[in-house]
Amino acid sequence: MDIGELKKQSDISYDIAVAKRNALEKANTRIVVVYNEHIFRADAETINLVKTLSEVHTSPLYLLDTNHNPVEISEPEEFLKTLIERNQEAISSYHQMSKTFAKRGD
Amino acid sequence: MTKGVLLFCFDTPDFQYHKILEKCVALIKKNLKLEITVATNFETYKHLKPLGFLNYKFIEPELGNKKNGLEWRNVDRHMAYELSPYDMTLVIDIDYFPFTDNLRQFLDTKYDFLISKNAYDLTNRNSFDTRKYSMIDMVWATVFVFRKGKKAKRIFDMVKYVKQYYNYFMDLYRVRDRRFRNDYAFAIALEQANGMITYDTLPITLPSLPPDCKVLKMDDRGIAWQFNDQINYTKDQDVHVLNKEVANV
Repeated sequence: MDIGELKKQSDISYDIAVAKRNALEKANTRIVVVYNEHIFRADAETINLVKTLSEVHTSPLYLLDTNHNPVEISEPEEFLKTLIERNQEAISSYHQMSKTFAKRGD
Repeated sequence: MTKGVLLFCFDTPDFQYHKILEKCVALIKKNLKLEITVATNFETYKHLKPLGFLNYKFIEPELGNKKNGLEWRNVDRHMAYELSPYDMTLVIDIDYFPFTDNLRQFLDTKYDFLISKNAYDLTNRNSFDTRKYSMIDMVWATVFVFRKGKKAKRIFDMVKYVKQYYNYFMDLYRVRDRRFRNDYAFAIALEQANGMITYDTLPITLPSLPPDCKVLKMDDRGIAWQFNDQINYTKDQDVHVLNKEVANV
């Protein structure tokens, strides 16, 4: 491989790294969701917590929002649905973007 | 409860900020779908193209602040509380382009004041890691939300106080940047008004393009930019553009 080709591959790698980081940050912002006037992250931790609590604990549930304020969740199933929808919207968008990374890196 | 966006826009001898406002307003209408109020002066207003329904608050900007030797009319943000006609207000810099509806949901919260502490560099150089330049966490007054009431009023009153004695507070918190920056004025006011402890924040990291990036193209979905010989783009993601030449793209 000549140095020109190495430079080209390096530039492509840089572009992919930047695009990947930006796509991840975009997903991280998109999973922020407002519910019941409080802010939550629709991430794996929140989803698992709500799912687990709703299975073993009777309503209402009490959770902490992103600013550590306690929030009463009177309808956990509705909340879980909101969290999962937002999570999958964000991650599927990241997944679509990652396909373009793979093509550019070939 | 009324909700809306408040923007500040003043042309300077060097930059036609009204052109940036026009781009920002179009994106707010498309994505945030909120009523908009613009705090501006008549000199700027008369250059604006028709933008549909907007509210205007005419004020004369306070002069004297400079950035890179050029006039920087950014000192009036402390007046947001008085200027906003809304119960719940989203204040954004006009060079923050909302390509998504992400910010809209924060007007549906019960917080009195929300602001972000973090920005990230879209070119992946971490050029917004500002913590090491002062003894206090900087906030990004680029985007904030407030609900009119005693607590928000107290914070804005504190911002005015910090602004009045800005040099003292810059020394107290050992802030390296000596220009007046809303980011530090709000950071200090929030810390003081909250009894030197933590305060509620927006859990988002503001995607930002450093000033050495040239914006090549911008449409209603996103932005393409050039840094050195690298060209990159982002779409469906809000972007804070620090290079004011975006006015001419």
